[in-house]
Amino acid sequence: MKCIRCKKTACVALPSHHSGFCKDCFPLFFTKQVETAIRREKMFTHDERILVALSGGKDSLALMLELKLQGYDVTGLHIDLGIPKSSEKARKKVEDFCSLHDLNLRVFEMEKWGLPIPDIKQYVKRPVCSVCGKMKRHHFNRIAVEEGFDVLATGHNLDDEVARLFANTLRWDTAYLSDQGPVLPASDGFVRKVKPLFRLSEFETANYAFLKGIEIHSDPCPYASGASFTNHKEMWGELEYRSPGQKFQFYQSFLKKGKPAFANLEKEVGVELHPCEECGSPTSAGVCSVCRIRAAVQASKVEAGVA
Amino acid sequence: MITVNLEPDGEQIEMHNTRSVIAVLNTLKLRSTMVIVVRDGELLTADRMLKNGDTLMVRKVTSAG
Repeated sequence: MKCIRCKKTACVALPSHHSGFCKDCFPLFFTKQVETAIRREKMFTHDERILVALSGGKDSLALMLELKLQGYDVTGLHIDLGIPKSSEKARKKVEDFCSLHDLNLRVFEMEKWGLPIPDIKQYVKRPVCSVCGKMKRHHFNRIAVEEGFDVLATGHNLDDEVARLFANTLRWDTAYLSDQGPVLPASDGFVRKVKPLFRLSEFETANYAFLKGIEIHSDPCPYASGASFTNHKEMWGELEYRSPGQKFQFYQSFLKKGKPAFANLEKEVGVELHPCEECGSPTSAGVCSVCRIRAAVQASKVEAGVA
Repeated sequence: MITVNLEPDGEQIEMHNTRSVIAVLNTLKLRSTMVIVVRDGELLTADRMLKNGDTLMVRKVTSAG
């Protein structure tokens, strides 16, 4: 296969775009997709301060590097979850990456905050992935708001978005279907959230990360075995292989036709938000779920005689 | 013989009479849009031919949590 731009031997084939690119031209394609996402969705400008959530995986690190190369004012935020043998490896990848590319980095440690993820697994009788996700979203938003960032950017790609949309559709979850998208505007104590990689597949971010020499943390989380999103991604991967372009079409059609309808519905039944009595983060209850979980874990530890 | 190092599984597989990347992927039951394939530091598309003694790195791209 030849590169569609320069006719050299291609190294990345993209059936969904009926094209292939060489190692020099593929990053240009990637950059164009990110630029298009930012421009069309009005995500942010060069005057705004952007906090980028960094997990150490290919998507977040690729996003951070790409935004820096495009001249944006970016700061990384890594949450050290305190999971033995896993978190230290992820953190090292992030720190080494930011040091190599001279990028600003903030690290928030769950253990120092008093609630490492192993404690949640041990003391909370709920799926650890959903509570961990809740904790991360809470701290990403809190730190973005407290430190005056204009926008929080995450490395969610097209596959992440399609897997989430598919899961929400399976449950016809109107609340989630009303606001899923590449941009969630700021409101009620929430900073604006954006996903500049939403036009790019996981395959495309993996190729970009490889070509840019990004060392990634690819070990799966030891607590995440059998996550349903991974199964949905595998299923969509097969569909995309047989019908290239299906994933993007499914997501784009939802944004145009499905989301507005669900947003109208949610306006009628949506809940009102107030600042949490403990931490000030927006919540529909008096005390937010993060503060409640933290208090419940502390109580369980006291009861068990370990705190 | 072609040697395939599968990531992130950390598995090593040896294949005989395999002449192309797509043949390797078919044998492994993997889709070309769900893995990256690397030989000597170079990314390969599925239509690339292989030669005896080649060592490939095949990395699945789907994040697993």
